[in-house]
Amino acid sequence: MARSLFLFDMTFWLYLASLTLYVAYLFARRPAMAFAPAGHPAEDFDERDGAWATQLGQVATLVTVFGWMVNTAALLTRAFERLEHSGTFAPWSNQFEAMAYVSWAIILGYVLLELRYKIKAIGAFVVGIGFIAMGAASLLPYRYQTAEPLVPALNSYWIYIHVSVTLTSYAAFAMAGGLGVMYLFKERAEQRGSRSRFYAAFPDLETIDELGYKAIMIGFPMLAFGIILGAMWANYAWGGYWSWDPKETWSLIVWLIYGAYIHARMTRGWEGRRAAIYAVFGFLMVIFCFWGVNFLLSGLHAYA
Amino acid sequence: MNSRPETLSEQDTPQTPAPGVGWEEFSRELVEFFASIKLAMFLFLFIAITATIGTVIQQGERAETYIQEYGEDAYRWFLRLGFTDVYHTWWFTGLLGLLCVNSLTCFYKRFPAVWRSMKQDKVSVSLAFIKGMKQQAEVVVPGTKESIAQQLAQHYVGKGYRVLAKNEAGEVTLYATKGVMGRVGAHMAHLSATVIVLGGLLGSYYGFQEFGVCLEGQTYHIPRGNFDLKVDKFWIDYHENGAVKSYNSTLTVLESGETKITKTITVNDPLVYKGIWFYQSSYGDAWDQIEVARVNIKDKQTEKVVKTIDLEWQKEQTLSDLNLKLAMTDFVADFAFNSTEKKVYSKTIEHANPAIKLTVNERSTVQATPWIFYQFPDLFEIKDSKYQFELIGYKPKKYTGLQIAKNPGINIVWIGCTMIVVGITLSSFIYHRRLWTKIIPSGASGVTVHVGGTTHKSQIDFQKEFRKLTEKIRTLEA
Ligand code: HEM
Repeated sequence: MARSLFLFDMTFWLYLASLTLYVAYLFARRPAMAFAPAGHPAEDFDERDGAWATQLGQVATLVTVFGWMVNTAALLTRAFERLEHSGTFAPWSNQFEAMAYVSWAIILGYVLLELRYKIKAIGAFVVGIGFIAMGAASLLPYRYQTAEPLVPALNSYWIYIHVSVTLTSYAAFAMAGGLGVMYLFKERAEQRGSRSRFYAAFPDLETIDELGYKAIMIGFPMLAFGIILGAMWANYAWGGYWSWDPKETWSLIVWLIYGAYIHARMTRGWEGRRAAIYAVFGFLMVIFCFWGVNFLLSGLHAYA
Repeated sequence: MNSRPETLSEQDTPQTPAPGVGWEEFSRELVEFFASIKLAMFLFLFIAITATIGTVIQQGERAETYIQEYGEDAYRWFLRLGFTDVYHTWWFTGLLGLLCVNSLTCFYKRFPAVWRSMKQDKVSVSLAFIKGMKQQAEVVVPGTKESIAQQLAQHYVGKGYRVLAKNEAGEVTLYATKGVMGRVGAHMAHLSATVIVLGGLLGSYYGFQEFGVCLEGQTYHIPRGNFDLKVDKFWIDYHENGAVKSYNSTLTVLESGETKITKTITVNDPLVYKGIWFYQSSYGDAWDQIEVARVNIKDKQTEKVVKTIDLEWQKEQTLSDLNLKLAMTDFVADFAFNSTEKKVYSKTIEHANPAIKLTVNERSTVQATPWIFYQFPDLFEIKDSKYQFELIGYKPKKYTGLQIAKNPGINIVWIGCTMIVVGITLSSFIYHRRLWTKIIPSGASGVTVHVGGTTHKSQIDFQKEFRKLTEKIRTLEA
């Protein structure tokens, strides 16, 4: 147990370091012309960055990737500890492990996003959420952090897939929430006509908006799949696929909220600012579904 | 390359309104209303909001529980609004029904256009149409319109586009499209809601769910399946630290005395026979039976324990040295007496006041059947007996709790679920892209290529793709 806890701890510090680096990257000096002309493609951020910013950005990426690898190692170590102690593999079998897994998924998502779009400014927001998730996990009391055996109802191969799919969808929604916050920051700066170099590293509003939408379009089918896997599990374990237990109801509520979002985007006026606010709101609902339900409401899933 | 003139546009052609408020207009308005995305958004959010009620207020509790927690007035409102069983109220069901109607109407209204665009699509467009698009470019390259069109078409096909072309006197028009499956996926998702609801209804009308408390060694008749179920064995496995690892029942299905199937079920591993599922759902201590009772036999005069014996359920023991025959013939977990029927019964299933019934036969002269209480050892005394009996402990008999269910709608529900996941996934990862290209001869030996494109989402990826495309066009030559 100690070994995985040490690695989780290390992950926490690495994510803190990478968050700090991304924030420093935003504040680093870069040539003033940097504001992207409206509507123009948001590539070649490297060219806009000054020497300092470029180097900070590179270090930030390296630290993030390293942190993610340590996070991976921590989860794997925990998986083997679970195999020894409690006969399952899944390193997402209690609240602590679930949080650590969610931050793993968020950071993985972010690294892929950076690889593909090369926009480092997003790191300050999205790595921030991954860090907070990891931090909140470390704040849990020790007895929640250990790999206690699962109660029989949860001890099944369904937990591998149902829980991981659902948690991954939460990570996608976290990404969208972070991008929503970023959008709102940038929009305010533009409205004030700010020319601060801080915002110069941000991609244009349209790109932030689109990326947020993409994140939700990944989370939405995943959550649907996760909920359905839960229903199949319930049908297998308890003889009913849907029992309106608070957790499953809340995940449905979250899904419906995002369902409204994707349809709203097809009507006028639901892009940009409104969509950003909505994505933040949706993410708050995800947090409630993930944390609040376990601690405030009762039901089959309140296993933490 | 086939060229086919454009006949169908995506938008519904505006129909001339019928005079007055005829049926036609009314039904059109109705379709309009039920196919509207606004209604869909309203339903999504309204269902989400009302669904929270049942997670905050406990569902299906007894009246006292609500009155105690919320007061009587609130409880009356709860009843009126159905808040004690939100998910089965007429209005909540109605909302789900409306969502089905909404998505079906949407399918009915919009799918034909998607279908047509799979078969046939818009080739002829005006130059202004292309220039008006968000992504558009104009490139002059050397070559003839035919050869450039040929090369471009090959390029599109290489990128997975389906290409339609039209060669006219002054220009060639190319239409390239890809990813219509994304939209088909969305419509698959729209049908799925209704499929799931239908499966659910079927299950709730023709299925059942029951809970059975069963004891090892007993056989139970399952009337709905017209067969018998025998519980051969029930046991619990523990982890090293004493936590329960699993609980298991070995079950045998008998049909007119003949063994059909034997299986050990455990949580997450049910037995299925003739469409009826038997789940290991819970376990507990039986309230009307125990395995062994430990009884102290005291001499009344000396007040000394002369013997401690373990009595097995309904098995007589002979103690020749004390001249006694003893048997435990009954047990209740929470003693209560019904004075009208003169019957002893267990008030609850908790072991709150356990008692056993002894059948005592002493020196073949004294015969008695006293109830002996675990908590009140001195309550009963057998008059002529030499002895006093005390119940000092017992080993409860575990029952196995079986959930017995049949759901003929389940497979339909799973079909609907597959449709929803496949449909949403398709629509998330595949997006519908369309490119129009006009190649117009210009100057002495060159052509001007006008290209424009749309996507119904994922603008930034499309931007990138479009930029690469314009670069590619620049490199084209005769
Ligand atoms: C019942 C649950 C529903 C689900 C799971 C669902 C799912 C989806 C998805 C995943 C898309 C694709 C979105 C995109 O491409 O960005 C979509 C598109 C759409 N949805 Fe729904 N939807 C549902 C109900 C409804 C309802 C009730 C309406 C009523 C108007 C509706 C109207 C539309 C329309 C008009 C489109 C665009 C279709 C197209 O691109 O051709 N949806 N839906």
